[in-house]
Amino acid sequence: MTTVTRAAPTLLTSPGARLVGKRLLMAVPIVIGVSIVTFWVLNLIPGSAAQQLLGPEATPAQIQALEARLGLDRPAPVRYLAWLGGAVTGDLGTSLVSGQPVAGLLGERLAVSGELVMLAFVISLGLALPVALLAAHRPGRLFDRVSMLVSITGLSVANYVLALLLVLVFAVELALFPAIGFVPLTESVGGNLQGMALPAAAIAFPLFCFYTRFLRGDLVDQLQGEDYIVTARAKGIGPWQVLLRHAFRNSAFGLITVVGLNLGTLIGATVIIEQIFALPGIGQLMLQAINTRDFVVVQACVVLFAVVAVVANLLADLLYAVLDPRIRYGSR
Amino acid sequence: MTGLVGEFATPVAAGEVAEPLLEVTDLRVRFRTRGTVVHAVNGLSYRVHAGRMLAVIGESGSGKSVGSRALMGLLPETAQVSGSARFAGTELIGMPERELRARRGADIAMVFQDPTRSLNPTMRIGAQVAEAVRAHSSLNRRAALDKAVELLGLVRLPAPERRAVEYPHQLSGGMRQRVMIAIALAARPRLLVADEATTALDVTTQAQIMELLVDLQERFGMAVVLISHDLGLAASYAQDVLVMYAGRAVEYAPAQVLFADVRMPYTRALLGAVPQLEREPHSLLPVVPGQPPDLARLPAGCPFRPRCTAADDACGEAPPFTEHEPGHWWACWHADGGEEAR
Ligand SMILES: Nc1ncnc2c1ncn2[C@@H]1O[C@H](COP(=O)(O)OP(=O)(O)OP(=O)(O)O)[C@@H](O)[C@H]1O
Ligand SMILES: [Mg+2]
Repeated sequence: MTTVTRAAPTLLTSPGARLVGKRLLMAVPIVIGVSIVTFWVLNLIPGSAAQQLLGPEATPAQIQALEARLGLDRPAPVRYLAWLGGAVTGDLGTSLVSGQPVAGLLGERLAVSGELVMLAFVISLGLALPVALLAAHRPGRLFDRVSMLVSITGLSVANYVLALLLVLVFAVELALFPAIGFVPLTESVGGNLQGMALPAAAIAFPLFCFYTRFLRGDLVDQLQGEDYIVTARAKGIGPWQVLLRHAFRNSAFGLITVVGLNLGTLIGATVIIEQIFALPGIGQLMLQAINTRDFVVVQACVVLFAVVAVVANLLADLLYAVLDPRIRYGSR
Repeated sequence: MTGLVGEFATPVAAGEVAEPLLEVTDLRVRFRTRGTVVHAVNGLSYRVHAGRMLAVIGESGSGKSVGSRALMGLLPETAQVSGSARFAGTELIGMPERELRARRGADIAMVFQDPTRSLNPTMRIGAQVAEAVRAHSSLNRRAALDKAVELLGLVRLPAPERRAVEYPHQLSGGMRQRVMIAIALAARPRLLVADEATTALDVTTQAQIMELLVDLQERFGMAVVLISHDLGLAASYAQDVLVMYAGRAVEYAPAQVLFADVRMPYTRALLGAVPQLEREPHSLLPVVPGQPPDLARLPAGCPFRPRCTAADDACGEAPPFTEHEPGHWWACWHADGGEEAR
């Protein structure tokens, strides 16, 4: 007698879509703002690419000539607008040092950093979910206490310290993984993953600790403080069902927001970790470019970081909107 | 028929009452939190008879909710429960969690005060009802969902098929409370505890929900425990009334007996407050002068003593809760003399 149909609002008119549109419009001035500030700060750094390229013996005249050739003699606002004009059409300019197109350089490096971040992210979340659920299932019991102890410890260790520790144990002592060295995915998947294991673990562990603590805390808050949990228990369903179908569904929203914010800052962690493990990622590229005053490349890296952070937040909001019926269907 | 005054015609089987559906004896609940012990329920005793409605009345903090949640083991882990609660002859207190779970919703179902917070905001209405159906049957998902829609129709939710796929925030307060009732009815419980189920609703909706409850009670022969601040509500719908103070029963009688012949000064104080029309319809019962006792430091003797006009030295010893007249129980050394007091 009854057919239950899902009433789906069309995607474009849904409140979620409007929210995303709004956020996208807000993202544009944010990214432009970051690029202006970066450009300005880079200008304040003493020394220029021409100086670096020609070495300490170069005469001022030689330096001036090279700067003119590279277009560095124009006033800063003019150079910025030229850069912006190119960036909008996807042309990020050419490296002052190597002469290669920046977009191509970034693409190569992005694949490495992207893989690193994704691995760290999957490992940390993949471990944090079951651990937090098991801990929240019986708060105060042994498993809960041990996992909380581990996560508090993990949060207080800087990831470069952890990286060195990992190298010491797994590369030097046990010789399970290489300490440094990168094998492209296209060459050997196994070799690539072996090289990525330690750096990914170094980024993943503090994240895992953070997610575990956050999710476990939120789950316990839901279980102990929310009326709908009492309703669920009063139905006569089992504790795992209460935890997964009720508490976790609601805790997931907080987690999504936290993960979105995190993903944006994660790219920063790669700068240090790539340096330690000699991975040819964005972070390494940026550090090298700063040393050679290759500001065109630095500018591109920083803007890329900003775009990644903004997109990660946007994705979190989008996911939130897709999952939360109060946003999806609007509030009355 | 909608059990307003008509229900009062139900004959009260004074003295020769049948085996009660629920018999609570000397129920005690205390919460241990950071060094202090809160004595929320202190030797509560009452009975609920099959097919009848018992109203539980008392000020905020008198242990009405805690006392009822203790029956089905729904209190947080900080609660220590002792005493006895026999449901159809089976002891519930101390029952292993697994057995208790099989009885939740099936023997005793509950409807709570705030239907907004009591429904999961992230789950469709139909799924929330279906979950209660499946907890006590072997129906598959599909069949349980059909049953859920049927239940939503039973509680007179308009357009149940459409509502089943909506979320709680898309419904009004009254509709949400109907959903809560549908969840409670899913496993055809023998006892329904409505813990201030209408307090959060406006007067019109409140009356509609009460009519629905009475109607369903008659249809399924359920017993109902109606927890409320509202004496008027108790007088209109319940056959029996239990008055609680500081975690114990202080007076218990069939409604018509109680309202005709109040014996306990606290009940009298509560009653004296009813006719104040200018009072907000759902305000707590602020009318009895003084404060309820601190449950962390309960004094010896009658807990109502500091606020009681009739108190004297005798009240230094706690009066027992006993059946002084057939069917009429109270706990007081100075029970007003019924007829002559009026
Ligand atoms: N989890 C808990 N921990 C400590 N004390 C609690 C807890 N739950 C309830 N109490 C205390 O137990 C006492 C009785 O609470 P209860 O909720 O049963 O009162 P009530 O009669 O239902 O009041 P109301 O009319 O406001 O709903 C209160 O003093 C309350 O503070
Ligand atoms: Mg209550």
